[in-house]
Amino acid sequence: MQKYWKLLLSQVKLDTAYSLRFWAGSITSVIRLVMLYAFWQAVYENRTTIVDISLEQMLTYSVLAVLLSSYIAGAGTQLAAGVLNGDVAIELMRPYDYINKLISLDLGSKLTSIIRETLPMLVVALLFIGIHAPHSWEHALLFLFSTLTGILIGAQIDLVVGLLSFWTINISGLRILRASFLLFFSGTLVPITLFPQWLQIVCTYMPFPSMVFVPVSIYTGQIQGADIYPAIGLQLFWLLVCWMVSRLFWLLAKRRITIFGG
Amino acid sequence: MRYFQLYVCFFSARLKAMMEYRVDFLIGALSILFIQTTSILFVKIVFDHIHTLQGWTFHEVLFIYGIAATGRAIHQFFFENLWVLGSAYIRTGNFDRILLRPIPPLFHLIADRIQPDGIGQLIIGVIVLGIAIPELSMPWGGLETLILALLILSSGLIFIAVNLFFATFSFWMVDSFPIMSTTYQLSSFTNYPLTIYNKGLRFVLTWIIPYGFTSFYPAAVFVDQGGYHTVGYLTPAVAILCCMIAYFFWKRGLRSFASTGH
Repeated sequence: MQKYWKLLLSQVKLDTAYSLRFWAGSITSVIRLVMLYAFWQAVYENRTTIVDISLEQMLTYSVLAVLLSSYIAGAGTQLAAGVLNGDVAIELMRPYDYINKLISLDLGSKLTSIIRETLPMLVVALLFIGIHAPHSWEHALLFLFSTLTGILIGAQIDLVVGLLSFWTINISGLRILRASFLLFFSGTLVPITLFPQWLQIVCTYMPFPSMVFVPVSIYTGQIQGADIYPAIGLQLFWLLVCWMVSRLFWLLAKRRITIFGG
Repeated sequence: MRYFQLYVCFFSARLKAMMEYRVDFLIGALSILFIQTTSILFVKIVFDHIHTLQGWTFHEVLFIYGIAATGRAIHQFFFENLWVLGSAYIRTGNFDRILLRPIPPLFHLIADRIQPDGIGQLIIGVIVLGIAIPELSMPWGGLETLILALLILSSGLIFIAVNLFFATFSFWMVDSFPIMSTTYQLSSFTNYPLTIYNKGLRFVLTWIIPYGFTSFYPAAVFVDQGGYHTVGYLTPAVAILCCMIAYFFWKRGLRSFASTGH
């Protein structure tokens, strides 16, 4: 009887270990929301707008940007792990395209985290922070399309970083660099319209604003009217570029495996 | 003295291991630099539009930021290994090995992995302080520097004590990393003056998890806004008290530790 009791306990331990990780993640996100709220409240004391952005718009922007930014990572980690432990060799023999498989697995896990993390956070934000609804129905639909494009761009960039593991083996440093680069230049920390002029010009030549700034700005109405379609067009252009780059890296990487395998 | 020699031995061994992945090490150091620069740039961008944050100037906020960054560097350099107590020592059974050695387990644990990334953090912190201090419009001399150094040391000790306290939970629950990282997230509040937050948050950051003493209260010794001048001088006492509590708790955890092998 005692061994069953022990088994039961060990299962409880295992479950709590995972649920703890889950709850800790949610609490961390709530802390980030509280931080955002307090910071922007203080910033907007004595003023109603900054560069034509109201407090309500800014809070909406920040909350959505933070939520969206957790989706712009991708399959790169799994790929790098596969390279380290050698799984990649077996995967290449199987009758599917390895990269497409990784991307679809990644999209699946994103779908579950929408239900598990994003929706609860959104409810908290709606109730306590007071974020506003999309600018209009048209904006809401375009926002969804633009978000999807942004996430796909992020997945391609992540893949490129992951593929670098074929050359450097260890990519933990690169991953931190990628994350901090994205946090800033995607406009997650602060809308790109607040950047100094020269930095805004630099940003127009990078794919990163297409990942967070463009979709969220379409939601809040900072991008509207005739500006929307060129912005989405640019997103699609960057998606194409990033896709081609990741394919090119993949071809080069595969050639490198052949060298290793003999 | 014997411990000092031991520490040097551990350190050089660690350095040799790191030089195996020289590129990754360099990228890691670069990432720290980049993360810090972008978060300061974020503050700068916001201040370009608002000039003061509830009465605080850019350089005063920078001063608070610099103290926190330098304090964190001390923690990061010497005590980084606390983060992996659960995952790399207790779960794997490695901690049993440490318990067998004729030196205190805590000493062994922290000497096992010194994190040179902390140096990058330290350099950034000192540069930030160097930019902020001349703009504070107050006389600055040797005495002020000495007091500041003491306060920063205390700040580092508080970071260490809080992390040690929450790492200790690993003795009962195998890996307390999620709790540690959630608590650590609270420290991001202290990059800004505590006066911008509401009473509840200020209470938590002063009395429950005393992160307020890692940056804001020490800064108040020099930049007094809101009458926290004398509270600031309590920082070293708070640091010592925190360390005592954390160490006592660590001892307690050590006593009830049963290896995962049982």
